[in-house]
Amino acid sequence: MRDADRTVGAESREARLAWAFVLPALATIFLIALFPLAWTVWESLHVHDLRMPWRGQPFVWLANYAEAMTDGRFWGAMLHTAIFTVGTVTLELVLGLILALALNRAYRGRGLVRAAVLVPWAIPTVVAALLWRFMFDAQAGIANAVLIDIGLMERPFVWLIHAWAAWAPVILADVWKMTPFVALLLLAGLQNIDDSLYEAARIDGAGPWRQFIHVTLPLLKPAILVALIFRTLDAFRVFDLIYVLTGGGPGTSTEPIALYTFNALLQNLRFGYGSALSVIVFVVTFGLAMFYIRVLDVDLTEAGE
Amino acid sequence: MQARFGTLAAVACIVACGGGDEDGRQVITFPASAVGAEAELLQEQLERFMLERPDVRIVRRETPDAADQRHQLYVQWLNARASDPDILQLDVIWTPEFAAAGWILPLDAFAPPVSEYFPATVAANRWDGALYALPWFVDVGMLYWRTDLFERPPASLEELSRAAARSRSDGTRYGMVWQGARYEGLVTVFLEHLGAFGGQIMDADGRVVVDSNAAVRALRFMADEIYETGNVPRAALTWQEEQTRFVFQNGQAAFMRNWPYAYPLLRDSAASRVAGRFAVAPMPAAPEGEPTATLGGSQLAINANTENPEAAYAVIEYLTRPEQMLERARVVGQYPTRPALYGRPELARGLSVPPDRARRIIERAVPRPVTPVYTQLSQLLQIRLHRALTGQQEPRAALEAAAAEMRALLEKVGLAPGESAGARR
Repeated sequence: MRDADRTVGAESREARLAWAFVLPALATIFLIALFPLAWTVWESLHVHDLRMPWRGQPFVWLANYAEAMTDGRFWGAMLHTAIFTVGTVTLELVLGLILALALNRAYRGRGLVRAAVLVPWAIPTVVAALLWRFMFDAQAGIANAVLIDIGLMERPFVWLIHAWAAWAPVILADVWKMTPFVALLLLAGLQNIDDSLYEAARIDGAGPWRQFIHVTLPLLKPAILVALIFRTLDAFRVFDLIYVLTGGGPGTSTEPIALYTFNALLQNLRFGYGSALSVIVFVVTFGLAMFYIRVLDVDLTEAGE
Repeated sequence: MQARFGTLAAVACIVACGGGDEDGRQVITFPASAVGAEAELLQEQLERFMLERPDVRIVRRETPDAADQRHQLYVQWLNARASDPDILQLDVIWTPEFAAAGWILPLDAFAPPVSEYFPATVAANRWDGALYALPWFVDVGMLYWRTDLFERPPASLEELSRAAARSRSDGTRYGMVWQGARYEGLVTVFLEHLGAFGGQIMDADGRVVVDSNAAVRALRFMADEIYETGNVPRAALTWQEEQTRFVFQNGQAAFMRNWPYAYPLLRDSAASRVAGRFAVAPMPAAPEGEPTATLGGSQLAINANTENPEAAYAVIEYLTRPEQMLERARVVGQYPTRPALYGRPELARGLSVPPDRARRIIERAVPRPVTPVYTQLSQLLQIRLHRALTGQQEPRAALEAAAAEMRALLEKVGLAPGESAGARR
């Protein structure tokens, strides 16, 4: 009985100590994550236009969200974000997987090749965006020069003034830059696959294709899902690449939601409406993350091993 | 001990006396660019002012030169009701915004000599009947033309188009270049075409009229110059000022619409292939309109929270005196806002554009719509103009959509014509 008492006392002491240890971490999370989020939500329920102080800061319930729902530019921006996300993530996964399979083979100088592949990823996004902008310049760009030389085009094409063609440099730039990152994640996954499994498959008479389908892909699933989750969430929040490359144009035909939010918040200084857009972006990315984790059953810890 | 007491007293004074320093002088803070000839000139002028007014000390507050960044910084300061900086250097399109927000003081009480300025520069700084800033220097859009290709500048838009086409068949790569990227510059170019066809963005009563037939004709003319005559290259729809200057400077364009800053650069024979082979003229008009130049430039205003409004105005009054403007023209080539100075021989030595010609263009200058929500209106218009010029929307449909969006915005913020609410106090 007294022993039990002592144990309970020790346990609660230990629990208190544990709380004391995690408290700084919890406080930090509260301060840098939850508090700003709550403030943004609160802000999104007000009219707060820095440039129009005479409007005051009235509480307007969900009026900012209602405005977003009827705002054509908002829906356009969501559509552009979806186009960008689906386009880039698909290409990056396919190319990244091919690249990872190639890098996984044993050959001399493999370390050097692996490092070289990462170069695009190491270039700052703004610099990469400027490079691609120059390459797709109508007059001096290499893209037009090459296409004319090989006879695919007669005269220079102005990529950035066409609502659809302007996507080409945007998507290519992102694929060029982020494929190495995907490849690296998948390569780590590939190296976790036990060689004896391939040996067993070979003994059972499976060719390279069947080995890929029945051994590599299932065992690579956690790594693929991690790559997918990273890239989807990143692509959904794309900002700097498009800001520099097209500025969202022509018109607003390549404007993603992050750029529109930036425009509302920091250019028009509409804190209420901009916050509402931020909250929407947060909810959608959170939902996407939940979808991956619950529906596709990603175990982040398993993949990290 | 005594020294410490002295320090304490000084600190107490700074806290209690507000805008004064330890010698009892009034301190005025002035935001300015950090580097370059302009910063040096300003420093000299402010030092001379302090000799004249030993009771005032001016402290420069270094601010970014990029207009958007400067604007954002101002808005943050002014929202926080900061009394520092006391004086604000404003872009011409910001004055009504800051005035309606109550961030800057009306200047009428100081009886500034408004009749001595170009009327358009004064009109751009009025809001709700009061004057809120004094024009410091002026910027206008002008037509650069090649004297080796033509004998005289075109007298009408039609003549401009024909001359551009002729020069192209004679081997010049582009007929005409202007700033067609989706940014504020596109609105300034459109405004000049709009005036040339007799249209306006907003009328005198503050009504949006950018969907008029004249406006549709103006926008159609711009689109036709790209897609029908081919005088304006499609790539111009991605160009800002500098790209058009490079093209003109390399001798690849017969005409260019640009600001005066390009003139001295184009005259520099080390870098420019058209040195000595170009001149400027007003942008021409169609028969139904007037030659029009978009007004730009810098203004000086006083922070509404300043503790020393009188001293702040004294600084502004000093910097806008004729001698200071002449010096500014001579040293950094900025155009005075006082028409009388354009007859002075010193000015011809300072400005690259011959003063009588510059004056004629500035007299044609029209301000962009004078409204506190100009920036937002301009963005709505930029998007629709760019959609029309890149072939995503018909000019009339684009302008009707722009006008509807602009009217809805004015309605929402209580600035629609006929309303007495809000900012029209």
